[in-house]
Amino acid sequence: MKYLVTDDSKLARLSLIKSLKVTVGEAEIFQAENGLVAVETMKKENVDIVFLDLTMPVMDGYEALPKLLEHNKNAKVIVVSADIQEKARERVIALGAQLHMQKPINVEKMKELLELINNV
Amino acid sequence: MYNLTEDEKDVLQELMNIAYGNATAVVAEMLDAFATLSIPNIAVIPVNELLEQFKHLKSQSYFFSTQAFSGEFSGESAFFIDATSAKNLAKHLEIESDEDLDDAILELTNILTSTLTTRLAQEMQTQVSFSLPSISHVPLAEISDVETFKNYSQVIVIDTQLIFEDQKINGEIFILTKGESIQWLKRKLNQILDQLF
Repeated sequence: MKYLVTDDSKLARLSLIKSLKVTVGEAEIFQAENGLVAVETMKKENVDIVFLDLTMPVMDGYEALPKLLEHNKNAKVIVVSADIQEKARERVIALGAQLHMQKPINVEKMKELLELINNV
Repeated sequence: MYNLTEDEKDVLQELMNIAYGNATAVVAEMLDAFATLSIPNIAVIPVNELLEQFKHLKSQSYFFSTQAFSGEFSGESAFFIDATSAKNLAKHLEIESDEDLDDAILELTNILTSTLTTRLAQEMQTQVSFSLPSISHVPLAEISDVETFKNYSQVIVIDTQLIFEDQKINGEIFILTKGESIQWLKRKLNQILDQLF
């Protein structure tokens, strides 16, 4: 299983990766600091699960989301954002995200969301 | 003069992003509107420099509201909204009198800054208590006379915008703190960083 963690904040990426490693053990985890790098990583690595922030420089999550799915329609995209507005949730789900989660993702939340996407 | 390292800034920016997301969601619900979130800009600068930056503001008149908070991390949250945005807010909320508009901006400030600061404090595992917010109408030329700015020499400016595109309402939020809070904050940010490695 390949994972891609996309966030402009190094803290957010490291913190999410820490929770991910505790939950799934050692895994192939890629990092991207914006949507454009995420799309390029997807083209090269064909990752299975993408954690995607929304507010990022260069290319934001809204723009990156359909491009990610264009390259791998089977990928599961989990939006992890501070933007918890209902309209933001509706928008990312309409764009193809599986889940919209509020930051930060601790180990408990990570377990919960991985269980949820396995049932989607 | 205290400065934040790049790592400290990154941590604070991310914590602020989380806090701001919460605050915006509450205000968006209150206004029944959708806000565009921007990446907060973090800087530690002398207050004079902040006042210099205000000279580049475009509108000639502002509503300026503040709310002080105290605790291990203490300071003042300030919310700026230009006169045009305030008019658009009044229109959106169907407010007619100036008094009601002041009241609406105060309530907006109260919700925005208290949610923002509470969430930020939560992320830093501390607690803050709040004073009542206050509001003033400030012509651009008199911004440096605002009492809040006289109370601070050096400030952490956490500058982020509140943008409701459909309603054409833009606001700007700052959190102003003093030396001892900056020291406390630096310690806290480094504890958070240490836990990651």
